[in-house]
Amino acid sequence: MSSNHSSSEQQGRRHKVEGPQKHIIAYVFSLVLTLLAFATVIAGEVNTMFTYILLIVMAGIQVYIQMAFWMHMKDRGHMYAIVGILTGVFVVFTMVVMAEYWVWW
Amino acid sequence: MSAHSHVDGQLPHEPEKATLEGRNKVLGFWLFLGGETVLFGTLFAAYLALRNQVGDGNPTSQELFDLVLVGVATFILLTSSLTSVFAIQAMHKNQVKSMLIWLAVTVLLGLGFLGLEIYEFVHYVHEGHGFTTSAFSSSFYTLVGFHGGHVAFGVIWITILIFQVLKKGLNVVTAPKIYVAGMYWHFIDVVWVFIFTVVYLMGKVG
Repeated sequence: MSSNHSSSEQQGRRHKVEGPQKHIIAYVFSLVLTLLAFATVIAGEVNTMFTYILLIVMAGIQVYIQMAFWMHMKDRGHMYAIVGILTGVFVVFTMVVMAEYWVWW
Repeated sequence: MSAHSHVDGQLPHEPEKATLEGRNKVLGFWLFLGGETVLFGTLFAAYLALRNQVGDGNPTSQELFDLVLVGVATFILLTSSLTSVFAIQAMHKNQVKSMLIWLAVTVLLGLGFLGLEIYEFVHYVHEGHGFTTSAFSSSFYTLVGFHGGHVAFGVIWITILIFQVLKKGLNVVTAPKIYVAGMYWHFIDVVWVFIFTVVYLMGKVG
Protein backbone atom coordinates (compact mmCIF):
# COMPACT_ATOMS: atom_id res chain seq x y z
CA MET A 1 0.00 0.00 0.00
CA SER A 2 2.93 2.35 0.67
CA SER A 3 3.72 2.36 -3.06
CA ASN A 4 0.37 4.05 -3.63
CA HIS A 5 1.18 7.03 -1.47
CA SER A 6 2.66 9.42 -4.01
CA SER A 7 -0.10 8.76 -6.53
CA SER A 8 -2.86 9.21 -3.97
CA GLU A 9 -1.36 12.54 -2.93
CA GLN A 10 -1.54 13.70 -6.55
CA GLN A 11 -5.16 12.56 -6.61
CA GLY A 12 -5.77 14.45 -3.39
CA ARG A 13 -4.51 17.65 -4.94
CA ARG A 14 -6.77 17.30 -7.95
CA HIS A 15 -9.89 16.40 -5.94
CA LYS A 16 -10.78 18.36 -2.86
CA VAL A 17 -10.80 15.86 0.03
CA GLU A 18 -13.30 16.91 2.69
CA GLY A 19 -12.22 17.15 6.31
CA PRO A 20 -13.92 15.71 9.38
CA GLN A 21 -15.17 19.10 10.73
CA LYS A 22 -18.50 19.00 8.88
CA HIS A 23 -19.25 15.52 10.21
CA ILE A 24 -18.33 16.42 13.77
CA ILE A 25 -20.74 19.38 13.57
CA ALA A 26 -23.48 17.04 12.25
CA TYR A 27 -22.70 14.62 15.09
CA VAL A 28 -22.85 17.30 17.81
CA PHE A 29 -26.08 18.68 16.32
CA SER A 30 -27.64 15.18 16.35
CA LEU A 31 -26.47 14.71 19.93
CA VAL A 32 -28.09 18.00 21.01
CA LEU A 33 -31.36 16.99 19.29
CA THR A 34 -31.27 13.62 21.07
CA LEU A 35 -30.66 15.25 24.46
CA LEU A 36 -33.49 17.73 23.81
CA ALA A 37 -35.86 14.89 22.93
CA PHE A 38 -35.03 12.95 26.11
CA ALA A 39 -35.13 16.11 28.25
CA THR A 40 -38.59 17.02 26.91
CA VAL A 41 -39.97 13.65 27.98
CA ILE A 42 -38.14 13.43 31.32
CA ALA A 43 -39.22 16.97 32.28
CA GLY A 44 -42.84 16.04 31.45
CA GLU A 45 -45.39 18.72 32.31
CA VAL A 46 -45.89 19.55 28.63
CA ASN A 47 -49.02 18.96 26.57
CA THR A 48 -48.93 15.40 25.13
CA MET A 49 -49.86 16.34 21.56
CA PHE A 50 -47.26 19.11 21.55
CA THR A 51 -44.60 16.68 22.84
CA TYR A 52 -45.48 14.17 20.10
CA ILE A 53 -45.16 16.77 17.36
CA LEU A 54 -41.90 18.13 18.80
CA LEU A 55 -40.42 14.62 19.05
CA ILE A 56 -41.38 13.73 15.47
CA VAL A 57 -39.94 17.01 14.12
CA MET A 58 -36.65 16.46 15.96
CA ALA A 59 -36.46 12.85 14.72
CA GLY A 60 -37.12 14.12 11.19
CA ILE A 61 -34.21 16.58 11.38
CA GLN A 62 -31.88 13.86 12.68
CA VAL A 63 -32.87 11.51 9.87
CA TYR A 64 -32.28 14.30 7.34
CA ILE A 65 -28.76 14.83 8.73
CA GLN A 66 -27.98 11.11 8.54
CA MET A 67 -29.30 10.67 5.02
CA ALA A 68 -28.16 13.93 3.43
CA PHE A 69 -24.66 14.16 4.90
CA TRP A 70 -23.70 10.67 6.05
CA MET A 71 -25.42 8.62 3.37
CA HIS A 72 -24.40 11.18 0.71
CA MET A 73 -27.96 11.78 -0.51
CA LYS A 74 -27.25 15.48 -1.00
CA ASP A 75 -24.46 14.63 -3.49
CA ARG A 76 -25.34 14.60 -7.16
CA GLY A 77 -26.36 11.35 -8.87
CA HIS A 78 -28.67 10.26 -6.04
CA MET A 79 -32.00 10.68 -7.84
CA TYR A 80 -32.75 6.93 -7.72
CA ALA A 81 -31.88 6.83 -4.02
CA ILE A 82 -34.19 9.74 -3.22
CA VAL A 83 -37.06 8.32 -5.31
CA GLY A 84 -36.56 4.85 -3.76
CA ILE A 85 -36.54 6.07 -0.16
CA LEU A 86 -39.43 8.52 -0.71
CA THR A 87 -41.52 5.72 -2.22
CA GLY A 88 -40.75 3.62 0.86
CA VAL A 89 -41.65 6.54 3.15
CA PHE A 90 -44.96 7.04 1.31
CA VAL A 91 -45.90 3.37 1.79
CA VAL A 92 -44.86 3.53 5.46
CA PHE A 93 -46.87 6.72 6.05
CA THR A 94 -49.98 5.07 4.59
CA MET A 95 -49.49 2.01 6.79
CA VAL A 96 -48.91 3.99 9.97
CA VAL A 97 -52.00 6.14 9.40
CA MET A 98 -54.00 2.99 8.70
CA ALA A 99 -52.76 1.33 11.90
CA GLU A 100 -53.31 4.38 14.08
CA TYR A 101 -56.75 5.45 12.88
CA TRP A 102 -58.34 2.50 11.12
CA VAL A 103 -57.54 -0.65 13.11
CA TRP A 104 -59.43 0.57 16.20
CA TRP A 105 -62.08 2.52 14.28
CA MET B 1 -11.52 -6.10 -17.49
CA SER B 2 -11.39 -2.49 -16.34
CA ALA B 3 -11.93 -3.69 -12.80
CA HIS B 4 -8.86 -5.90 -13.11
CA SER B 5 -6.54 -3.19 -14.31
CA HIS B 6 -7.41 -1.16 -11.21
CA VAL B 7 -6.82 -3.94 -8.70
CA ASP B 8 -3.07 -3.63 -8.40
CA GLY B 9 -2.65 -0.12 -9.72
CA GLN B 10 -3.33 3.19 -8.04
CA LEU B 11 -6.64 3.64 -6.29
CA PRO B 12 -8.95 6.12 -8.06
CA HIS B 13 -10.75 8.91 -6.24
CA GLU B 14 -14.04 7.55 -4.82
CA PRO B 15 -13.05 3.92 -5.56
CA GLU B 16 -16.58 2.69 -4.79
CA LYS B 17 -17.84 4.38 -7.98
CA ALA B 18 -14.84 3.65 -10.20
CA THR B 19 -16.35 0.55 -11.82
CA LEU B 20 -19.79 -0.17 -13.24
CA GLU B 21 -20.06 -3.06 -10.80
CA GLY B 22 -19.39 -0.72 -7.89
CA ARG B 23 -21.98 1.81 -9.08
CA ASN B 24 -24.54 -0.95 -9.59
CA LYS B 25 -23.84 -2.23 -6.09
CA VAL B 26 -24.56 1.20 -4.60
CA LEU B 27 -27.77 1.60 -6.65
CA GLY B 28 -28.90 -1.92 -5.78
CA PHE B 29 -28.25 -1.20 -2.13
CA TRP B 30 -30.48 1.89 -2.25
CA LEU B 31 -33.29 -0.26 -3.67
CA PHE B 32 -32.70 -2.72 -0.82
CA LEU B 33 -32.90 0.15 1.69
CA GLY B 34 -36.24 1.21 0.14
CA GLY B 35 -37.49 -2.31 0.87
CA GLU B 36 -36.06 -2.19 4.40
CA THR B 37 -37.93 1.08 4.96
CA VAL B 38 -41.20 -0.68 4.11
CA LEU B 39 -40.27 -3.67 6.29
CA PHE B 40 -39.59 -1.55 9.37
CA GLY B 41 -42.61 0.61 8.50
CA THR B 42 -44.95 -2.38 8.79
CA LEU B 43 -43.41 -3.29 12.17
CA PHE B 44 -43.82 0.33 13.35
CA ALA B 45 -47.43 0.35 12.13
CA ALA B 46 -48.14 -2.91 14.00
CA TYR B 47 -46.53 -1.54 17.15
CA LEU B 48 -48.48 1.73 16.96
CA ALA B 49 -51.74 -0.18 16.56
CA LEU B 50 -51.04 -2.55 19.48
CA ARG B 51 -49.00 -0.48 21.94
CA ASN B 52 -51.89 0.07 24.36
CA GLN B 53 -53.24 -3.49 24.21
CA VAL B 54 -52.09 -4.68 27.61
CA GLY B 55 -53.93 -7.21 29.79
CA ASP B 56 -54.71 -6.69 33.49
CA GLY B 57 -51.54 -6.76 35.60
CA ASN B 58 -49.19 -6.84 32.59
CA PRO B 59 -46.54 -4.10 32.55
CA THR B 60 -47.28 -1.03 30.40
CA SER B 61 -44.71 0.99 28.50
CA GLN B 62 -44.75 3.75 31.16
CA GLU B 63 -43.91 1.27 33.93
CA LEU B 64 -41.33 -0.62 31.92
CA PHE B 65 -39.03 1.72 30.00
CA ASP B 66 -35.80 2.99 31.52
CA LEU B 67 -34.85 6.16 29.63
CA VAL B 68 -31.30 6.33 30.99
CA LEU B 69 -30.45 2.93 29.49
CA VAL B 70 -32.08 3.89 26.18
CA GLY B 71 -30.23 7.22 26.22
CA VAL B 72 -26.87 5.48 26.61
CA ALA B 73 -27.73 3.04 23.81
CA THR B 74 -28.72 5.96 21.56
CA PHE B 75 -25.45 7.75 22.31
CA ILE B 76 -23.43 4.61 21.48
CA LEU B 77 -25.21 4.05 18.17
CA LEU B 78 -24.98 7.71 17.12
CA THR B 79 -21.25 7.69 17.89
CA SER B 80 -20.78 4.51 15.85
CA SER B 81 -22.45 6.28 12.93
CA LEU B 82 -19.79 9.00 13.16
CA THR B 83 -16.93 6.48 13.34
CA SER B 84 -18.23 4.73 10.22
CA VAL B 85 -18.22 8.13 8.44
CA PHE B 86 -14.57 8.51 9.47
CA ALA B 87 -13.87 5.04 8.04
CA ILE B 88 -15.33 6.06 4.65
CA GLN B 89 -13.37 9.33 4.73
CA ALA B 90 -10.16 7.40 5.44
CA MET B 91 -11.05 5.09 2.52
CA HIS B 92 -11.39 8.11 0.20
CA LYS B 93 -7.90 9.24 1.26
CA ASN B 94 -6.58 5.69 0.73
CA GLN B 95 -5.53 5.42 4.40
CA VAL B 96 -6.19 1.70 4.80
CA LYS B 97 -4.91 1.38 8.36
CA SER B 98 -6.97 4.29 9.68
CA MET B 99 -10.03 2.97 7.81
CA LEU B 100 -9.66 -0.45 9.45
CA ILE B 101 -9.27 1.10 12.91
CA TRP B 102 -12.45 3.19 12.49
CA LEU B 103 -14.33 0.13 11.22
CA ALA B 104 -13.13 -1.85 14.25
CA VAL B 105 -14.30 0.96 16.57
CA THR B 106 -17.68 0.88 14.81
CA VAL B 107 -17.93 -2.88 15.38
CA LEU B 108 -17.02 -2.50 19.07
CA LEU B 109 -19.65 0.22 19.57
CA GLY B 110 -22.19 -2.01 17.79
CA LEU B 111 -21.34 -4.82 20.21
CA GLY B 112 -21.75 -2.42 23.14
CA PHE B 113 -25.19 -1.47 21.85
CA LEU B 114 -26.16 -5.14 21.50
CA GLY B 115 -24.95 -5.87 25.03
CA LEU B 116 -27.18 -3.11 26.42
CA GLU B 117 -30.16 -4.34 24.41
CA ILE B 118 -29.73 -7.94 25.61
CA TYR B 119 -29.43 -6.70 29.20
CA GLU B 120 -32.60 -4.62 28.70
CA PHE B 121 -34.61 -7.53 27.27
CA VAL B 122 -33.50 -9.91 30.05
CA HIS B 123 -34.49 -7.26 32.60
CA TYR B 124 -37.94 -6.87 30.99
CA VAL B 125 -38.54 -10.62 31.00
CA HIS B 126 -37.78 -10.64 34.74
CA GLU B 127 -40.35 -7.85 35.14
CA GLY B 128 -42.95 -10.18 33.60
CA HIS B 129 -42.79 -8.75 30.07
CA GLY B 130 -42.28 -11.87 27.91
CA PHE B 131 -42.75 -12.15 24.15
CA THR B 132 -46.29 -13.56 24.50
CA THR B 133 -47.37 -11.53 27.55
CA SER B 134 -49.50 -9.04 25.62
CA ALA B 135 -50.04 -7.66 22.11
CA PHE B 136 -47.91 -4.72 23.24
CA SER B 137 -45.02 -6.97 24.29
CA SER B 138 -45.14 -9.06 21.08
CA SER B 139 -45.10 -6.01 18.81
CA PHE B 140 -42.42 -4.36 20.96
CA TYR B 141 -40.04 -7.33 20.85
CA THR B 142 -40.65 -7.88 17.14
CA LEU B 143 -39.85 -4.27 16.23
CA VAL B 144 -36.93 -3.60 18.59
CA GLY B 145 -35.59 -7.15 18.26
CA PHE B 146 -35.63 -6.90 14.47
CA HIS B 147 -33.55 -3.74 14.73
CA GLY B 148 -31.18 -5.50 17.13
CA GLY B 149 -30.93 -8.35 14.62
CA HIS B 150 -29.91 -5.83 11.99
CA VAL B 151 -27.21 -4.46 14.29
CA ALA B 152 -25.93 -8.00 14.91
CA PHE B 153 -25.86 -8.68 11.17
CA GLY B 154 -24.00 -5.40 10.57
CA VAL B 155 -21.41 -6.28 13.22
CA ILE B 156 -20.75 -9.66 11.58
CA TRP B 157 -20.70 -8.15 8.06
CA ILE B 158 -18.24 -5.35 8.90
CA THR B 159 -16.01 -7.76 10.84
CA ILE B 160 -15.80 -10.03 7.79
CA LEU B 161 -15.02 -7.00 5.58
CA ILE B 162 -12.18 -5.99 7.91
CA PHE B 163 -10.60 -9.44 7.45
CA GLN B 164 -11.17 -9.31 3.70
CA VAL B 165 -9.39 -5.95 3.39
CA LEU B 166 -6.54 -7.26 5.57
CA LYS B 167 -6.18 -10.19 3.17
CA LYS B 168 -6.84 -8.55 -0.20
CA GLY B 169 -6.17 -4.87 0.41
CA LEU B 170 -8.28 -1.86 -0.52
CA ASN B 171 -9.11 -1.83 -4.24
CA VAL B 172 -12.03 -1.16 -6.58
CA VAL B 173 -13.51 -4.56 -5.71
CA THR B 174 -13.40 -4.23 -1.91
CA ALA B 175 -14.11 -0.45 -1.71
CA PRO B 176 -17.80 -0.64 -2.81
CA LYS B 177 -18.39 -3.30 -0.14
CA ILE B 178 -17.05 -1.01 2.59
CA TYR B 179 -19.07 1.93 1.24
CA VAL B 180 -22.30 -0.07 1.13
CA ALA B 181 -21.72 -1.47 4.64
CA GLY B 182 -21.29 2.13 5.85
CA MET B 183 -24.64 3.06 4.28
CA TYR B 184 -26.23 0.05 5.99
CA TRP B 185 -24.86 1.19 9.33
CA HIS B 186 -26.30 4.72 8.91
CA PHE B 187 -29.65 3.21 7.96
CA ILE B 188 -29.63 1.20 11.20
CA ASP B 189 -29.09 4.45 13.08
CA VAL B 190 -31.95 6.11 11.15
CA VAL B 191 -34.28 3.29 12.22
CA TRP B 192 -33.06 3.62 15.80
CA VAL B 193 -33.89 7.37 15.79
CA PHE B 194 -37.51 6.40 15.11
CA ILE B 195 -37.43 3.58 17.68
CA PHE B 196 -36.22 5.78 20.53
CA THR B 197 -38.68 8.50 19.49
CA VAL B 198 -41.80 6.45 18.75
CA VAL B 199 -41.33 3.45 21.06
CA TYR B 200 -39.45 4.74 24.10
CA LEU B 201 -40.10 8.48 24.37
CA MET B 202 -43.72 8.40 23.19
CA GLY B 203 -44.25 5.23 25.25
CA LYS B 204 -43.09 7.12 28.31
CA VAL B 205 -45.36 10.10 27.52
CA GLY B 206 -48.33 7.74 27.15
